Amino acid sequence: MQTHYLLSNKYKKFGWILLIMGMILGILINAEVLESELLQTKVLSIYNEGIFSKDDGFFKIIENGILDEIVALMIIIGGLIVGFTKEKVEDEFIYQLRKESLVWAIIFNYIILSFAIVFIYDMTFFNVLIYNMFTPLLFFIVRFNFLKLRSGSDEE
Amino acid sequence: MKNNIKIERARFNFTQADLAEKIGVSRQTINAMEKNKYVPSTLLALKIAKLFKKSVEDIFLLEDHE
Repeated sequence: MQTHYLLSNKYKKFGWILLIMGMILGILINAEVLESELLQTKVLSIYNEGIFSKDDGFFKIIENGILDEIVALMIIIGGLIVGFTKEKVEDEFIYQLRKESLVWAIIFNYIILSFAIVFIYDMTFFNVLIYNMFTPLLFFIVRFNFLKLRSGSDEE
Repeated sequence: MKNNIKIERARFNFTQADLAEKIGVSRQTINAMEKNKYVPSTLLALKIAKLFKKSVEDIFLLEDHE
C-alpha cells in the first residue's frame, strides 16, 4: 500500500507527547496561570504594524516573549505528527478513514467558524481565531481515532 | 457489493485477526469488508481470493442494483 506524505509509526508517540504538552501549556497560558510573554528574546520580525507596537516596518529585530510561539508550534508540530504518521498496520482502508476524517474536519471546522463569525464579536472573536489555528488538526485527529476505534470494535 | 469473506473465513477456521495478518492488512479492514462497509481495492480482492483458493467472482458479488 503506497502511502504518500506519511511518517513512520515510530514517531507517533513523540507526536502525542508534544501535542499533549503543548495543549496543557496552551490552556495554562489562556487561563493566565502562565504569562505568555515569558522567555523574552530578540526575534526577527519580517513585517509589523499595529496599534500597540513601536517597532513598525520591515525586517526589525524586536524583543518578544516567545513562550506562546513555542507552545503554538508544539501543538501544530505534535498534531501534524499524530495525524500523519502511519498506523501500526497502515492499509488502504485506514488511509481511506484518514482521508474521510480530513474532509469531515475541514467542513466541520468551517461550519463552526461561520457560526462564530455571525454570533461572536470583539476580543472574544479574536480568541476564536486563536483556537481556529489548531481546530482543523484537532478535529481531524479526534474524528480519525473515533472512526478507527468504531471500525475495530464489535467483531462477530 | 456483497462478499463471502466471513463464510470462507469460517471454512478455513481463521479469525479476523488471522486473515488480516495473512494478507497484510489491519483487522479493521476485514471487519469493515465483512459488514459491507468497505469495498476493497482490486489488489486486496485478488489477495483474498488467492488465499482462499477461489476466483474473485466467487467471493465478491455485485448486487442487483449495481
